Amino acid sequence: MRVLTVDDSRTILAMLHHTLSNAGFEVLQAEDGQRGLDVLAREKVDVVITDINMPVMDGIEFIKHVRSSGAHQSLPILILTTETSQDKRDQGRAAGGTGWIVKPFDPEKLISVIHRVVH
Amino acid sequence: MSDLDDFKATYFDECSELLAELEEQFAEIEHGDRSNGRLNAVFRAIHSIKGGAGAFGFSGLVGFAHAYETLLDKVREGGVKLTPEAVALCIRANDIVADFVHAARVATDLPEDYGADEKGRFTRLAAGEAPEDEAPIEDFDIDFVPVMARIARAEAEEPRGASLDAFEAPPLPPESGQWEIRFRPHGELYARANDPLLLFRELASLGELTVRAVLDATPALADFEPFGVYCAWELTLVSPTVTETQIREVFEFVEGNCELSVVEVQPLAMSPGLPPLLIDEPDELPSFSDLMPEAPAAGLMPPAEPAAPLPSFAALAEAVQAEASVRPAGVPPRPEPTARKTVATAEPAGEPEVERRNGVQSIRVDLDKVDRVVNMVGELVITQSMLTQQMDETLRVRYQELVRGLEVLAQTTRGLQDSVMAIRAQPVKSVFSRMPRLARELAQVTHKKIRLEMIGENTEIDKTVIEQLSDPLTHMIRNSADHGIETPEQRLAAGKSETGVIRLSAEQAGGNILIVVEDDGAGINRDKVLQVARQRGVVEADEQLSDEQIDQLIFAPGFSTVDAVTDISGRGVGMDVVLSNIKKIGGSVHVRSWAGRGTRMTLRLPLTLAVLDVMLVRVSHNPYVIPLSSIVETMQCARASFERVPSGGKVLQVRGEYVQVIDLCERFELGTPADDKTRFVVLCEAEGSVKVALIVDDIIGQQQVVIKSLEENFESIEGIAGGTILGDGNVALIVDVQGLKSAKPRRHAA
Repeated sequence: MRVLTVDDSRTILAMLHHTLSNAGFEVLQAEDGQRGLDVLAREKVDVVITDINMPVMDGIEFIKHVRSSGAHQSLPILILTTETSQDKRDQGRAAGGTGWIVKPFDPEKLISVIHRVVH
Repeated sequence: MSDLDDFKATYFDECSELLAELEEQFAEIEHGDRSNGRLNAVFRAIHSIKGGAGAFGFSGLVGFAHAYETLLDKVREGGVKLTPEAVALCIRANDIVADFVHAARVATDLPEDYGADEKGRFTRLAAGEAPEDEAPIEDFDIDFVPVMARIARAEAEEPRGASLDAFEAPPLPPESGQWEIRFRPHGELYARANDPLLLFRELASLGELTVRAVLDATPALADFEPFGVYCAWELTLVSPTVTETQIREVFEFVEGNCELSVVEVQPLAMSPGLPPLLIDEPDELPSFSDLMPEAPAAGLMPPAEPAAPLPSFAALAEAVQAEASVRPAGVPPRPEPTARKTVATAEPAGEPEVERRNGVQSIRVDLDKVDRVVNMVGELVITQSMLTQQMDETLRVRYQELVRGLEVLAQTTRGLQDSVMAIRAQPVKSVFSRMPRLARELAQVTHKKIRLEMIGENTEIDKTVIEQLSDPLTHMIRNSADHGIETPEQRLAAGKSETGVIRLSAEQAGGNILIVVEDDGAGINRDKVLQVARQRGVVEADEQLSDEQIDQLIFAPGFSTVDAVTDISGRGVGMDVVLSNIKKIGGSVHVRSWAGRGTRMTLRLPLTLAVLDVMLVRVSHNPYVIPLSSIVETMQCARASFERVPSGGKVLQVRGEYVQVIDLCERFELGTPADDKTRFVVLCEAEGSVKVALIVDDIIGQQQVVIKSLEENFESIEGIAGGTILGDGNVALIVDVQGLKSAKPRRHAA
């Protein structure tokens, strides 16, 4: 199963990569929303995990773009969020986000959340 | 900012607290705790919200809260059972109340019929009718039509009633382990790539799951919308350990994009009600794609005939069946989510909800935590002053740097102490602001003309004191309105203006806060008070009392001069409650009355409850401390300067005034000191400016102490207000001047 992780923080990307590849996922990475779209244009992925605050194209815009293309309407997108940014989370949901992961995430929880949105 | 805005701000703060309280209470009620205490707390909260809303004319909120309150009242009386449905409705209603409050706070209007549905259900429940189904069909957001729906509904009508009966069946046992879940996804759920199948898969991991599709909303084929959602589900989850929280957590991501109700039911009650609505073939569930191609051309599609089961569903059902036999041993426990929405239907509350979370500008901190800080700061202050005292002159000269450091430390600890106290301090306004309304109501009921004047509302007092102030003040103002102020006719006859004045004031006086309630009424009728007091044995028949002593009798327990009990001042409980409440917070009450001119009641309250400025004295060989706030002056005197009075007591003449003498050595039974020894007089002021001279063996100095409760650690002792630990580790008792003084006459009487 392939996961696209989109985050401008190298730390977060590295942590996600570590956790996900240990759990048997194939991990793709992008540093912002625009690059995330580029990856989606050429690769097939099963689930996307994206941050909200990013340069170039933020997570909200990214999700809107993904949903507006016919090919990815049923692609599960998980939003990386914090306890304190519920409004961002709600915006992300409104844009078409499938669910969310609260940072800092624990590995087990992360995997179980992915299983909640992916077949 | 106008006063009204101030009051509103207070009200909204209070609402935030009450709403939080509601949430807490319902968290327990949901788990089966239906104790009266909880119901009463809920009732009080709603009642308070309604009361304030009425004062500010928030009619929508008043109406809604009233319906809610009426139901709660019925529940309290036992007339209506608090079924899980009713609880869910209440929890939903709490959110609506919060939305109303929020709308009022930001001065926006909610739709006219906001909460009308829930309000209607409250009214019906209170009237003893069963609540309706959780998920009214009308709420369904797809515009579907008649042909199919009519047939489906016609069939569904009867069974639906039956199903309700099953749900509303007699009070349910708290833990049957069988959960009925109704789940109707909206279009957005799919648009966000959520998949019911995955939710069911996760539910199946919690226990034994049965899934039934509900197709009552399926339209005629011609009316199918490409992205329409026509399928809902009813699920039964059996697991002895699963909680509602766990179930709802599964639906966390789809909250707001579906209708959801989670109800725990009695296993037996299930079977008769449910099947008719559903396709009772869990392993052959139809899917949307299956229905499309093979539907009859006429557009009439029997809802209960799936063409072929969707493979994944079949797989799921199999998995579920298979798991059913081995469950639930391996069910992993799930962490409780820290915050969750507790409404029955996951309809989004929209913007108000989001802002409600962000609207409060302050944080709530457990008072215990603040108290711990207060206590520690108190100890710090004491240690600091002890250090300073131990610096003698030689040390001062030798270690100047150290001295400077200690001075800075002294300043900082003082600042720290003030800041910590400020956390607990609140303006009395929050209590005072409730009084004008009270005065208006009292004026109406008594047919008197009353004007309430308030002074010093910004005076700040410790929060605990403020909280304890509301009841006593209410009683005092009631008393003034009821017994003090005369009728307009009487007032005119007495040459006063028609309108009586009650003046409520607060001011800081030294280490105390004085709160005064005074009126320009008739004054206390001393003859009557004395007569009643004698009748009830409060006062001995032959005992002679001064006017002032008679006035204080109104605080005696169970005392009331009114023969016919009035609605207002109550039933002879009142003024004694004032006294006990005020004593509880370390304060005292004093009343003074002038015939025909009025009555003044003075509450003397401590500024803070934790740290006290005291004078350290020695009695025999023991240290005692006397609150500095009650000391007028100290002097050296020879024992011979006391004069004996016929009653056996002693007095001391201080500048022409005779003052009662209490020798602490004798009073605390510490032996009799030698006559020739020089001793000290600490002249204290008790209530009502009455002076009393305490005789001690030595005066050691002034300092601050942290009060330790004697009641909590030992037991209450007359004449002792508490204890404290001194810098050298010794325990000293805090002298209660007022207590000593009032204890004296009783000893004589006994």
